[in-house]
Amino acid sequence: MSGAHFRCFFFTLTATAALFVARGHSQIADEHRTFLYPYSLPAVDQGLMSDVAVTLDRAAGSTYVPGRVIVKFRDGASTTARIRSLSLVSATTAVSERPSYANFDLVRIDPSDDAEAVADVLRQRPDVEYAQAAYRVHPLMVPNDQLYGIQWNLPMIDLERAWDIQGAAGSSVTVAVLDSGVAFQSAVVRFNGRAFRDDLGNLHPALGPVDIPFAAATDLFSSSRFVQPHDFIWDDNLPLDLDSHGTHVSGTIGQLTNNSFGTAGVAFNVKLMPVKVIDSDWDDIFGAPNQGTDDVVARGIRYAADNNAKVINMSIGRTGPPSPVVEDAIKYAVGKGAFIVIAAGNDFEDGNPTEVLAEIASRVQGAVSVAAVDRSKGHAYYSSAGSWVELAAPGGAARVFGRDGLVFQQTIDLRLGTSLVEPRACGVPASFAVPRFDVFMFFGFQGTSMAAPHVSGLAAMLVQQGITNPAAIEAALERFATDLGDPGRDNLFGYGLVEARDTLRGLGLAR
Amino acid sequence: MRRVGVLMCAVCSVARLSAQPSAPGTSPDRPPAVQVRPFVLAAEQRFAAATTFNAAFGSRLAPFYGGGVQVATRRGFYVDLAASHLDRPGQRAFVSNGEVFQLGIPLKISLTPVELTAGYRLKRSRRSRLVPYVGGGVGWYKYRETADFASGDEHVEATHAGYFVVGGAEIRIQRWISAALDAQYTVVPGILGLSGLSKEVGENDLGGVAARIRVILGR
Repeated sequence: MSGAHFRCFFFTLTATAALFVARGHSQIADEHRTFLYPYSLPAVDQGLMSDVAVTLDRAAGSTYVPGRVIVKFRDGASTTARIRSLSLVSATTAVSERPSYANFDLVRIDPSDDAEAVADVLRQRPDVEYAQAAYRVHPLMVPNDQLYGIQWNLPMIDLERAWDIQGAAGSSVTVAVLDSGVAFQSAVVRFNGRAFRDDLGNLHPALGPVDIPFAAATDLFSSSRFVQPHDFIWDDNLPLDLDSHGTHVSGTIGQLTNNSFGTAGVAFNVKLMPVKVIDSDWDDIFGAPNQGTDDVVARGIRYAADNNAKVINMSIGRTGPPSPVVEDAIKYAVGKGAFIVIAAGNDFEDGNPTEVLAEIASRVQGAVSVAAVDRSKGHAYYSSAGSWVELAAPGGAARVFGRDGLVFQQTIDLRLGTSLVEPRACGVPASFAVPRFDVFMFFGFQGTSMAAPHVSGLAAMLVQQGITNPAAIEAALERFATDLGDPGRDNLFGYGLVEARDTLRGLGLAR
Repeated sequence: MRRVGVLMCAVCSVARLSAQPSAPGTSPDRPPAVQVRPFVLAAEQRFAAATTFNAAFGSRLAPFYGGGVQVATRRGFYVDLAASHLDRPGQRAFVSNGEVFQLGIPLKISLTPVELTAGYRLKRSRRSRLVPYVGGGVGWYKYRETADFASGDEHVEATHAGYFVVGGAEIRIQRWISAALDAQYTVVPGILGLSGLSKEVGENDLGGVAARIRVILGR
């Protein structure tokens, strides 16, 4: 992908909508879409966005703990023979007290000695049954997904060891994704493309009736994966993603994992409830009856809570006046046992205004607002800061780390799905071809939108583990977060970076 | 129970040694100047770290089993050396606003006190069957905590000194067998309170109040 294209899609994510849809048309019957076929051609997977080096940083081979060797002497080997064998290795060797549940001994050697060489020498002795270095054992749950190596964000929150604790990762938990929809179903839908005006003032002619293909994201869909989908923009049960944002966010929460394909997700067995509360530019061009306003968001929250979502991810936000209708809905949902995660905002360098929805979360026990950190656990330059920030999670930042610093998940191929947005940022003349939403790529995004689903996935794992009280989930996430920035809670990172393994593992009496 | 059985055998063996016939010229009822009296004990301890123990185990009560030996003088002074042991499975947890949330991660603690007691037995008469006693002492408390999914350095193994007072009464059941019931108040600083749940809730004493019963062989 060229730099111009990259800037294009990045800009679409972080800027406010800059497309003006000509609404001069009368309210006509064909304003609404028609669901033509339940499936389209198979989805096309384009792989990884170009120019990203895939580096699997897990070195092959084994490493061992220096300073000791594991030895099993043969039954009947005399103490004298054992001492003689050990003295051959070094004068400083000594046998430690035999550990519990062991039929072998741990031999202490000089830490500077090569433990493998020492073991080789000992193995030659007739009184030694076996000898080996104390090789480090790694968690078994390192996903085999092809692109896992570029997902710096998941190991950052110690997710591999968390998966060891809870391999199920939320299989009985539903996470609602209140967003631009999700690529959750294959379909062909007939829309009526209306004339519209872009932000340069250019009027673009109506596309007329167009049949748009959709497909379920190949690294997201599985049977029984999606439950109770609903679209509050089109007022039906087909919350298709005409943007890419909601599909990417859903990937962070529950991308299919350990399937030797694509990327991994946090709570990869979780059930997803796509709830569309945000309209994309294409939704507007196609004449969606509703837009992503406070009332729509509030209805989406209530819908998710009423349909047994245990976690609600809201990678959405706005600034401006308060929103009592959303606050009321958030309190309602928390009261019904749903834990709510809200992105803290991307406007740090744009005056850092108060994020209204995130600010509500900070006042409700059982809802959290999430700031973003970059690849070095530093404050992501865009991540809004304020009293409302409660937690931090990886959100990525391309400014510092280039594309390797982004959060990668599968989503709609932006070149085909949303290419009309921001022609200026793309640096190319606008090209308003009919979009298609059945082609997917693994794209890197950045934003607190990307940070929030890490927390939602982790919350789902906590729910799976039996912590169902939203206030308790918030308390656990905050208690076990790694403090960043100023000691204690601060406005950049809140209580700190979420820590998956420690959160799931809790505390013992003395440690 | 098996451990208790082994201890009983050991006690009986030692008892046979101390229960030798009296020396010629001494009264058969008159105990020797110094007696070695082995015993087995069972105790139920109510831990002082209530929130910590309730969070991990659902209860602050836990049983100890052990045994020891007492050296008692005819004048009433005595010294005990006792060892006991507690094993307890529980769960890792966290506490929020006073509410406990268990996480289903298995946890196991063991506590092995070795206690040295000095005290006085208030024997009112030679024929009295009831002997009150008081004492106090110092102990070494070996604590071990393990949990699933722990890396090597996350297990806890610590030994710390503590101190205690004890008071109770011994009743002679047979000529060579007595039962002692007492209460012991123990303070064990230095193990809890540094990390984990105990630090979270501000509890730093691994001691508590124990109700103990001992079966003692000897007069």
